[in-house]
Amino acid sequence: MTPGPAQGGSDAATYAHPSLDELRAEAMARGRRPRRFGSWYATEHMLRAMRAYGWTIVVGALGQPLVYLFGLAVGLAALIQQDIPTGGGGAVSYLVFVAPALLMTATIAVASEEFTYPVMAGFKWRRYFYGFNASALSSPQIANGVMIAASARMLFAGGAYYLFIWAFGAMTGMMTVPDPATGWISVLIGLVAGLSFGMPLMAYAASLEADKGQFALVQRFVFMPMFLFSGTFYPLAVLPWGLQWIGWISPLWHATELGRMATFDAPVNVVMLVVHVGYLLVLSIGGYLLTRRAFTRRLAK
Amino acid sequence: MTVAPPETMRDAVPRRGGVRALWAGNPWAVVQRGLIAARSSSWVVILSGFFEPVFYLLSMGIGLQSFIGEVQVTPGVAVSYAAYIAPALLAVSAMNGAIYDSTWNVYFKLNYGKLYEGMLATSLGPLDVALGEILYALLRGLVYACGFMIIMQVAGLNLAATAILALPAVLLIAFGFASLGMAVTSYMKTFQHMDWLNIVLLPMFLFSATLYPISIYPQWIQSVIMAFPLWHGVELIRALTTGAYSTAMIWHVLYYVVMIAVGLVFTTKRLRALFLD
Repeated sequence: MTPGPAQGGSDAATYAHPSLDELRAEAMARGRRPRRFGSWYATEHMLRAMRAYGWTIVVGALGQPLVYLFGLAVGLAALIQQDIPTGGGGAVSYLVFVAPALLMTATIAVASEEFTYPVMAGFKWRRYFYGFNASALSSPQIANGVMIAASARMLFAGGAYYLFIWAFGAMTGMMTVPDPATGWISVLIGLVAGLSFGMPLMAYAASLEADKGQFALVQRFVFMPMFLFSGTFYPLAVLPWGLQWIGWISPLWHATELGRMATFDAPVNVVMLVVHVGYLLVLSIGGYLLTRRAFTRRLAK
Repeated sequence: MTVAPPETMRDAVPRRGGVRALWAGNPWAVVQRGLIAARSSSWVVILSGFFEPVFYLLSMGIGLQSFIGEVQVTPGVAVSYAAYIAPALLAVSAMNGAIYDSTWNVYFKLNYGKLYEGMLATSLGPLDVALGEILYALLRGLVYACGFMIIMQVAGLNLAATAILALPAVLLIAFGFASLGMAVTSYMKTFQHMDWLNIVLLPMFLFSATLYPISIYPQWIQSVIMAFPLWHGVELIRALTTGAYSTAMIWHVLYYVVMIAVGLVFTTKRLRALFLD
C-alpha cells in the first residue's frame, strides 16, 4: 500500500501528490455518468454521425414511400384489377395489400444499411469504437448505441411511410388503412422487423475483419430474394412450394403478415400470431446477444 | 557560348486543345488492368450482379402472372406478363451494372486507390482512361446479358428472331449510362453522395414502363418519363424481343447515341480538369 504523501501538509501539496486511492476515487466519480448512460453517449455519437448524410435519410424516408406508392401500388394496381384474397374468404384492393409490406421493407432496408458499413467503419476504417472503448463506455454499450440510433432512423422511416399511406388514402378516397385503430402498430412491427433482420446482420458485420464484398452479397443473395419472395407483392401461397420456404424463414414475411393483421382485417390466427411474433423476437434477441458477444470480443483483442 | 536546345525540345509546344492531347489510342491497357484486377477480387461478387434480374423475373413472372395474365405491348399485340417484364429487366440490369461500375468503382479508384494518377503519369490520356473503364464495364455487362438472354430463351420469353439484337442494344444502353456516370462521379466528394444515385435510379426503374405500361398515367407524367433514358432502353429491347417493331426504335437508338457523345465529352473534360489542368 502506497503511503499518502501529504500527511499534515498543505492543501496544495495534497493536490500535487494525491494518493492512488484518491486518484481511483476521482476516476470512478468521473466515469460514473458515462458508465451509467454509456449507451446513450454512443447513441448520441451515432446520431450526430448520421448528419453527414442527413439529407439522404430525409429524402429517402419521404421519397421512397412516394415513389413506391405511385409506382407499385398505383401503377401495378392498374394492371391488377381483381382484389387480392387475404385468406379466410376476404379480399382487399392491391394498394391495401402491399402497403404494410412496403413499410416493413423500408425499415429492413434501413437496418441493412445502418448495421453493415457503419459497423465496419467503427471497427476497421475509422476505428471509432476503439475510441469509445478507451473511455468508460463498455463494449455492449457501444453495440447498444449503434442499435438505438438505427432504431430511431427506422422509426422515422416507418412512421413516415405510415403517414404517407394514410395521406394517400385520404387524397384518393381509397381506404388505405381499413383498421386505423390498430394500423399504427405496423410502425412498431416495422421496428421489430428491422431489428430481427439487423441484429444478426450486425453480429456478422462485427465479426468481419475485411470488406471483401460480403455486404454486397448479403444485399444480393439475402435482402433481394427476401424482398422478392416474401409475399410482398402477392400472397406467398401463389408461389410454388420450392420457393415458399424463402418466405417462411424471412423476417419480412412474418412482419408483413403481422402488418396485414394490424392494418386491415386479415384473419387473425392465434397460433400464427404467436409464431410470427416469436420468430421476430427470437431473431432480434438472439442477434442482439450475438452482437454483444462479437463487440466484446473484438474490442478486447 | 550558347548551346542550342535539342531539336525535340525546341519543337515541344505545350499540349493543348484537340483530342491528340487527351488520347494515346490505348484504352485496352486500362481494360487489361481491369481484367487482371478482377482475377484477384472475389468472383462471387462479380458474378452476383447476374442474379438480380433473374430474381426479379422469377418473383414477378411467377407471382404476378396469375393476377395479371397478359399485357398489351402495342395495340393488337399482347404478351404474357413474364415476356413483358423480361426485356425491361434486361435494360434495367444494363443500366444498374453500368452505373455501378462507373460510379462506385470509379469513385474508389479515384479517391482512395489513386489509380488514375498513376495511369495518367504514363502516356495514357484522360480519354484512354475514360474509354478503357467504360469498355471494361461493357464487357461485364455483355456477360450478364448473355446469361439472362439464355434464361429468356429457355423460358420461352424471346418471341421474335430479332431478340438476339437485344445484346448490342444492351451494350448501347450500358455505354450511355457508363459514359455519363463517370462524369457525375467526378463531382462526388463523399461516398454518401452516392446515395443520390439511388434516389434517381429507383423512380426511373419503377416508372419507365418496366413493370406496367405507362399508359395508365396522365399525358404529362408520360412525357416526363419519356424524357429519361431508361424508358427508351426498355422500349427498344422490348420491341426487339417481342417483335412489336415501330419507327420509334430509331429515336430510341438516337437518344443513346447522343447520350454517349455528350457523356464522353463531359467525362473527358472532367478528368482533364481533375488531373491535367
